[in-house]
Amino acid sequence: MRVQDCWHPVALSHSIEAGSSAGTRLLDRELVVWRDNSGVAHVWEDRCPHRGMKLSFGFVRGDHIACLYHGWQYNSGGHCQYIPAHPALEVPKTIKVQVYPAHERSGMIWTTLPENPAAVPEDDEPVVPLRSLYLGCGFDAAIEALSACRLVPFASDAPAETTVSRVTDTLFAVSCAQDRLLVGVQAISTTRTACHLSLCGPAQRYLGAGQIHFNDWALQLRRAAEQAPAAQAAPDRDVA
Amino acid sequence: MPNGLVLYNYELDDSCYRVRLALSLLGLTWQSVAVDVFPGKEHLSPPFLALNPSGRLPILRDGDLVLHGTEAIIAHLARAHDPSGKWLPAQGPEFAAVMQWLIFSAHDLGVTIAAREHSLFATSGNEASLCAASSKAIRIMDDHMTARGFAQAEWFAAGHPTIADIALFPAFALSRDFGIDHDEYPALRRWARRFRVLPGFKTMPGIPDYH
Repeated sequence: MRVQDCWHPVALSHSIEAGSSAGTRLLDRELVVWRDNSGVAHVWEDRCPHRGMKLSFGFVRGDHIACLYHGWQYNSGGHCQYIPAHPALEVPKTIKVQVYPAHERSGMIWTTLPENPAAVPEDDEPVVPLRSLYLGCGFDAAIEALSACRLVPFASDAPAETTVSRVTDTLFAVSCAQDRLLVGVQAISTTRTACHLSLCGPAQRYLGAGQIHFNDWALQLRRAAEQAPAAQAAPDRDVA
Repeated sequence: MPNGLVLYNYELDDSCYRVRLALSLLGLTWQSVAVDVFPGKEHLSPPFLALNPSGRLPILRDGDLVLHGTEAIIAHLARAHDPSGKWLPAQGPEFAAVMQWLIFSAHDLGVTIAAREHSLFATSGNEASLCAASSKAIRIMDDHMTARGFAQAEWFAAGHPTIADIALFPAFALSRDFGIDHDEYPALRRWARRFRVLPGFKTMPGIPDYH
């Protein structure tokens, strides 16, 4: 599958609170990830069709997001519903933001860019959010650092082997003894990559001490990825 | 004007904003004296150099006391004018953590001030290196608040907001002025949302009224 056709993680679900928005980039495209007040996540092109302002600078009210510049309000389908400067105007249907599919799985918000997206992988399991890492390296260098990493188990004292497996093109699982971390890898650009990290298992096992344990590992992973020689050069690529 | 608080202020200055935030969040009333920093360079004129020989704002007058240095000013405001004692905990690890982050603000975030002034007022400096150093400092803050989240703590230095949060907020909130977006700092985004709803919160140019 070409990298453009994959499902990509764009945020940890935990990081996008209801009624808030954040900008991100995927393969150099600017996206806004936002969550309406009822808790539904949305992924759109980060651009108001009026003046090109980033919608991630805007504000969420109810099930609408509004642009900071002139307050144009867009419903969850991306259609402009209301223009404050012309309150009586019935807004033409053509004023619409590019909307991408958004799904939440494994504690992450996922999107895909093509017109006819592939089916969303169904598997899901209870997870505890860890954190997102933003790495100053390309996708391949991030995967290389991830593949070389070693976990110290949290849930058991015995030393154990670390295995890194590829679940999908953009989702990896790092396992060690009873612990299993899911790593969603987001290709921001050829020189920046995000890893969104979730811990598989019940909250009572990992909240607090478990998160602190794996946060130390995550920071080591970031150092390794940013120090590796491969971090310096990262050409465009397709995922095999 | 022996009684009352007087702030020598430049509205677009990040450091003056920290003091305005402290005054407002502490529920104080103060008089503001506008100083023409750009383009007038009034802060470098002899009357202002007499108040602060370093030639920087903010300067606070509190009765007979004239004080410069952003972190010293907000520490003084908290100690002298906050009867609850919460904004500057008196002792223990919370006091120590507040001091650590105030010094981080004064030292490590200096580069964010330089980056912003370079961007807004074309002061000297190398844009790429200022931006890289600013990102590094902001990432340290985001890592700290990520770790605080694992301990169910919502503020930098204590279980409630302190002057450490006040000192650190502007550099993050204004970072888009010098080309650093909020995309890569999820823990700071959540912290900033909490900070913005504190009673007495004020914005400044560069920080949207709506969020």
